[in-house]
Amino acid sequence: MSNPFPLEKDGLLDAYRRMKTIREFEERLHVDFGRGDIPGFVHLYAGEEAAGVGIMMHLQDHDRIASTHRGHGHCIAKGVDVKAMMAEIYGKATGSCAGKGGSMHIADLSKGMMGANGILGAGAPLVCGAALAAQKLGHDGVGITFFGDGASNQGTVLESMNLAAIWNLPAIFVVENNGYAESTSVDYAVASDSYVDRATGFGMPGITVDGTDFFAVYEAAGEVIKRAREGAGPTLLECKMIRFFGHFEGDAQTYRAPGENEDNRKNRDCLKIFRAKVTEAGVLTDAELDAIDAEVLALIDEAVKEAKAAPLPGPAELTTDVYVAY
Amino acid sequence: MTKVGIIANPVSARDIRRIVSHAGNLPINDRANIVLRMLTGLSATGVDEVVIMPENGGIRTQLMRTIERESKTGRQRFPKVTYLDMPVTCTSDDSAEAARQMHDQGVGAIVVLGGDGTNRVVVSRCGNTPIAGVSTGTNNAFPELREPTITGLAVGLAVTGQVPCDHAFSYNKRLEVRVNDQREIALVDVAVVSERFIGARAIWKTESFRDLFVTFGRPDGIGMSSIIGLLAPLDRETPKGRRVRLLPLETAKTRLTAPIAPGLIEEVGIGAVETIVPDDVYLPSVSAGSFALDGERELTFSEIDDVSIRLQADAFRTINVPDCMAYAAKHGLLTKEANGSLHVAQ
Repeated sequence: MSNPFPLEKDGLLDAYRRMKTIREFEERLHVDFGRGDIPGFVHLYAGEEAAGVGIMMHLQDHDRIASTHRGHGHCIAKGVDVKAMMAEIYGKATGSCAGKGGSMHIADLSKGMMGANGILGAGAPLVCGAALAAQKLGHDGVGITFFGDGASNQGTVLESMNLAAIWNLPAIFVVENNGYAESTSVDYAVASDSYVDRATGFGMPGITVDGTDFFAVYEAAGEVIKRAREGAGPTLLECKMIRFFGHFEGDAQTYRAPGENEDNRKNRDCLKIFRAKVTEAGVLTDAELDAIDAEVLALIDEAVKEAKAAPLPGPAELTTDVYVAY
Repeated sequence: MTKVGIIANPVSARDIRRIVSHAGNLPINDRANIVLRMLTGLSATGVDEVVIMPENGGIRTQLMRTIERESKTGRQRFPKVTYLDMPVTCTSDDSAEAARQMHDQGVGAIVVLGGDGTNRVVVSRCGNTPIAGVSTGTNNAFPELREPTITGLAVGLAVTGQVPCDHAFSYNKRLEVRVNDQREIALVDVAVVSERFIGARAIWKTESFRDLFVTFGRPDGIGMSSIIGLLAPLDRETPKGRRVRLLPLETAKTRLTAPIAPGLIEEVGIGAVETIVPDDVYLPSVSAGSFALDGERELTFSEIDDVSIRLQADAFRTINVPDCMAYAAKHGLLTKEANGSLHVAQ
């Protein structure tokens, strides 16, 4: 049977591997954080993989992204080294930011990942800068900022959308909408309720896509990114999604309906949806995907083992990488 | 008590056609205003109660805020408004479930805000309840462009029995697509495309077009049905449909420039055009691909699937707004004596 999908077999395997890596990375952090092994704070991305990977499959290293406080998924999807990430979250010197960024400030500029960010909505102006740089340097790079439904109310996001529109920047504003701003329902917290309407207000197109369907995100993101690369300006892309864990690790999630998490895991798991589509079409087999599952589990085990064994940053590192001299 | 249902789903008209063409985006506030204008029409014609599909996209908030505000000023222009008790999924499934519940409640009619896709979803679940489409979608070949106040008046006149049935309602054709045991419908067109995945749903890549079946096609229509509209027009009433085989441009002897989506005018390779008749079974011209129903990919099929397409005549009812209003004018339904009430047709 011919391949009906917009990716060749290798691309499909790559997409699944990235999504599965995010899933296992987060599931492992959930356990390790609960055991008290991890310093600081973590916010997990499990359940939202199709959105991050569906977008990032179109990007290269010269494309820049700015993430949120929930940045692990974006990092992995963008190609940041998983072992360096794990070490970073464990606060070790071998981490991608030498152990001083941790979960909420993890970054890797070599991969175009400008950083997770503890400040809500702070990625939007960064991405405008990256997009402006691409425009002025004359290459086809794009800047993509991710933010949640809560951060969409931040002035930085709205000001950045205005800036991107008037300068016609190759910037893309991705709203990852899981329906809750921390624990506050969207209906309560967002006055206009529609993120697409907000884009329209700035004269840029906005679209909504099912964030649990990798292929829906992949196809929509492809058009949005192509549009930006060709000079047609910014776009807002809203991904409607679900998340398996709470806002932060330790969140009692009392705002959720009874059985909501169980239903999400059973019926709206983007990895299960992806697996069903590609195996039913006869393009990939369960055995091929199971093999990736095993490889990813081994990788995560190894990453944790190495992170635990790695040294902490020494006192001499206290003031390095803190200030930038112009 | 005469009750009318209203389905205004905020997730409609948000798809990729805003990127690949220049499809419009009707803001939530405007959607709420459309419902309000419709309510005034319904109220003026004697509708007591309106039941609305719940959603959390903001329409309800805006609507109830205005109703509350106006009731404080002493104005009572609106019927009683209630909401269905159903979970909100923020998908088109909400429209389907609302249509089912409204039908079960026995509403006189369902007013649908949306384009061809939303109307299709509602018709698939509303049974014999008549619908009235208000054009607010991406592609609006099925719902006619009209001021919602007038739609509200016409629906009110129809469901309260002031306009007799033969003027109040029209019967419509539809297409049924079957893939094995799964059956779906289309109100305007079924396009067969070679892409075999659903993805972002909309269709715009003409090189993938293979086949097109329509219930009607107007020369001034928009969307895929405009292809038939420009080749061999067909009205909504005639009990037959049309089919045209679509070919790659390089092999087609005829090329048609057609507005296949709002803001998207493309050349399409044209093959044979034929008439289709109700209840006959037709097969797509390719053995694998997707069926796009009223412009959106919904079903995929391959060589191993049992598929068919069938035209159904007199399949569902709509409110005939022009006829309702013409009847009202002719019989003075909206005229009243200086000290009297509205005339009621005998």
